Amino acid sequence: MNIPPGWSWLGQFLLYVAAGLLVIWLLVTGYRALARFLGGRPGLVRPLAIAGGVLAVVGALLPWVTFPLNDGPYPDLATLQFFDAPFAVTGFRLFTLITGVAAIALSFVPRIPVRRVLRALGLGLAGVALVNTIFPLIDGGGFGAITAADGAFAFGGIVTLVASLVLFFVSKAGDLEPLPRWNTKVPRLVAYAALLVSFLVLLFAVARLLNSGSDSGGGSTTYSGPIFLSLLVFFAGLFGALHAIGFAGWLSAVSDDHKLFSVLVLLLAALALPFTEAGTDYWMTIAANIGVYAATAIGLNIVVGLAGLLDLGYVAFLGIGAFVAANLSGAAAAEFHIHLPFVVAALVSATVAGVFGAIVGSPTLRVRGDYLAIVTLAFGEIFKKAAQNNIGGLTGGANAIPGVPPISWFGASFDESFTIGGVQLPSGVLYYVLIIVLVSVVMLVFANLKNSRIGRAWIAIREDEDAARAMGIKTGQAKILAFLIGATLAGLAGSVFAHKTSTVAYDSFQFPESVTLLAAVILGGMGTIPGAVIGASLLLILPEKLRDFSDYRLLLFGLALVLIMRFRPQGIVPDRHRRAELAGEAEGGVPIEELNVPDSPQGATR
Amino acid sequence: MSAPATKAPVLVANEVSMVFGGLTALSNVSLQLGEGQILGLIGPNGAGKTTFFNCLTGLYTPTTGSVQLRGRVLPHDPASVTVAGVARTFQNIRLFPSMTSLENVLVGRHARMSQGPLASLFHGPAYRRGEADARTRALELLEFVGLAKVHDELARNLPYGDQRRLEIARALATDPSVLLLDEPTAGMNPQETEATRQLIFAIRETGVAVVVIEHDTKFIFSLCDHVSVLVQGQLLVEGAPEVVRDDPRVIEAYLGKPPDEVEAEVRQYTEEAGPDTQVKDTGGNQ
Ligand SMILES: Nc1ncnc2c1ncn2[C@@H]1O[C@H](COP(=O)(O)OP(=O)(O)OP(=O)(O)O)[C@@H](O)[C@H]1O
Ligand SMILES: [Mg+2]
Repeated sequence: MNIPPGWSWLGQFLLYVAAGLLVIWLLVTGYRALARFLGGRPGLVRPLAIAGGVLAVVGALLPWVTFPLNDGPYPDLATLQFFDAPFAVTGFRLFTLITGVAAIALSFVPRIPVRRVLRALGLGLAGVALVNTIFPLIDGGGFGAITAADGAFAFGGIVTLVASLVLFFVSKAGDLEPLPRWNTKVPRLVAYAALLVSFLVLLFAVARLLNSGSDSGGGSTTYSGPIFLSLLVFFAGLFGALHAIGFAGWLSAVSDDHKLFSVLVLLLAALALPFTEAGTDYWMTIAANIGVYAATAIGLNIVVGLAGLLDLGYVAFLGIGAFVAANLSGAAAAEFHIHLPFVVAALVSATVAGVFGAIVGSPTLRVRGDYLAIVTLAFGEIFKKAAQNNIGGLTGGANAIPGVPPISWFGASFDESFTIGGVQLPSGVLYYVLIIVLVSVVMLVFANLKNSRIGRAWIAIREDEDAARAMGIKTGQAKILAFLIGATLAGLAGSVFAHKTSTVAYDSFQFPESVTLLAAVILGGMGTIPGAVIGASLLLILPEKLRDFSDYRLLLFGLALVLIMRFRPQGIVPDRHRRAELAGEAEGGVPIEELNVPDSPQGATR
Repeated sequence: MSAPATKAPVLVANEVSMVFGGLTALSNVSLQLGEGQILGLIGPNGAGKTTFFNCLTGLYTPTTGSVQLRGRVLPHDPASVTVAGVARTFQNIRLFPSMTSLENVLVGRHARMSQGPLASLFHGPAYRRGEADARTRALELLEFVGLAKVHDELARNLPYGDQRRLEIARALATDPSVLLLDEPTAGMNPQETEATRQLIFAIRETGVAVVVIEHDTKFIFSLCDHVSVLVQGQLLVEGAPEVVRDDPRVIEAYLGKPPDEVEAEVRQYTEEAGPDTQVKDTGGNQ
């Protein structure tokens, strides 16, 4: 056959696709067959757990990488031969060891849901193994790095991967146990103690996670990506195990019963972060950015999560808030040379953004669904173009507006570091505190509105607009209100952003930022507060830690979104209602759609 | 069981027509609903019954004609019509599926609550009082339709019959003077149908006038004070149930059965329902 040279890539491509599909097919069939085989054999739980545990221990003690990679030796002595030189099991090898020992031990503990626990630990271990085999594979170039090369061998990663699969398949031996429910009627003191300890542990876990693989200033190093990811998936596995034994569910029920106390402790924990190992200039800056994004994402959550209006140009309101604040705060390059106090400037920024929100909202009332998304997308582009062209001299165009002065209260400039009780706090800590306050205010606004007449109206519109109108809800007003409040919150966040970054440029407010915000809302969980915060944190921390992968950033985001949508469509922290809707947790009863008698007139009004 | 025709009408439809492109779904349909009346609207599939409801509630703007509630012309906006006092249920259940039963009914209270955005933001004492009142009223309504037990269940998880009743509770939460029910017993078993019949009588007791669309003629004839028959968008016959039932045009166009057979069925049905029904029936004239 005579293939023209230009077409050979096509043949190659098709070959890869075919091979990929074959592998996927083999995996799926194998998985199904294995699951079926194990299904009727609950007696295999303990043998499998022990086998997996032993394999994990062996994996932990084997070398993982055959040679020092281009960027230097892989961390945690991974390159050493078995039992070579100073013997220390640290980092990901320690996680592997702990998981292995825990799996063996847990298989002998009575009255715990072993299958659930081991499934969580197994998945966590799979993450650890994958991160630390894929990274050397790519960075060191080829399979030699993780198998055998030049007389050295390193099967640690592969053995651990097998171990994690064995542990995972424990959960297929017999039926998965029901989630244990602990008694939530506990004395107040016990509840308080549990909450306090849990939040403290959370605080230190977060600090450790942020600083994992960092240099002394908190900045990232060569291997901070895999080190961070290993810890993250290990923590995820541990959390999964805590969830499996019923502890997480119990804690969330208890914190619901003692809401005020939980909120206070959480707030204190957030304020304590600068005192931990993550209290560096570097992390204060990133935390402040996370706060700005989280506050904006919560505002967006009102529009998208509650009212169900897809807004693809939302970051424009953050931009409007930032530019207004920049113009009113005495930056030399600004159009107006007035310097309002920060609080006043912030309120004006929020108001202006809110007005724009309402203006953008009103023409979108006549369109629904996809069309609405297109209109908001267009608005985002209009804003960007206007800002790029320095309309009215308000945005500085390509020169941006530099030199926005830091906020300063009572003579304390917010970007300086200072000392409390002998502890030197990082610079930017005041901004951090301010942003914690901002996020708290935004959360309060969201929570109060969600559980109110207005919030119910929004949710009703999201669920069924015609039915909402039939309940006497003026849907037009309600939608404009959603846009207005969402935009106001974004504008407020924008005013803090302007001072914090000191330079406000149009290119911080473009379409990818809108998508990031939307991704934060969806990843974290639509309609929930912790969801937006966790989503924003992940989306801003991961790129910091994964500098090596910055070229693939969007690809990885996309992959993460696809995976989340496939395996956890309700988001990381789901709304109670969404959870039922998307995860099919409904027991008994039939979804409404399936019961509908077909009826054309209603549909025809859409 | 006779129609209290002399009473002042609550809801009046004047010559309502609705044309979709070339299709005349309704032509000059007029209707009067008396205070405390239960009016049945029957007719074959595609006769225009649901379209008529949509015209009454402002979901559709009728091509010609108007609707008046207590002498005031209703606007063509569903929200305003609900505020004015006309509530409805839908033929294909349209609850808010991922809200709980209680929240569904609370949404029904929307128009009767007054908290604006600021009150909703700050949750002051007046706000909390209003919210507590709405909750109490919503729970009463759930109790009234027999769903108090499932107030915390998501609407989508309720069994079918409960969903229909929840829709009625949600409509009642808007404090209507007129309630429009579009096939409230579709898909129900005989027990549930009977419970719904009793529920409608009980609703009438509270001073709400009711219009019911239903295909189950036994149900309609044993429930309503007045029956209108819609065929191909036109009002064919109207009057007391006995009159409509015996009208040869109705029998031909709609029932397709000899009158005595229908009568026998109706008698059997009311007897099965027990003496209770009779008491409720006469109560309708109060
Ligand atoms: N929005 C619309 N656009 C076009 N045609 C419509 C529309 N709504 C209703 N129709 C048509 O009007 C006619 C009457 O429909 P309608 O749903 O009112 O009947 P119905 O009496 O409620 O029937 P059923 O007993 O089946 O519910 C049908 O032919 C229907 O197709
Ligand atoms: Mg119909």
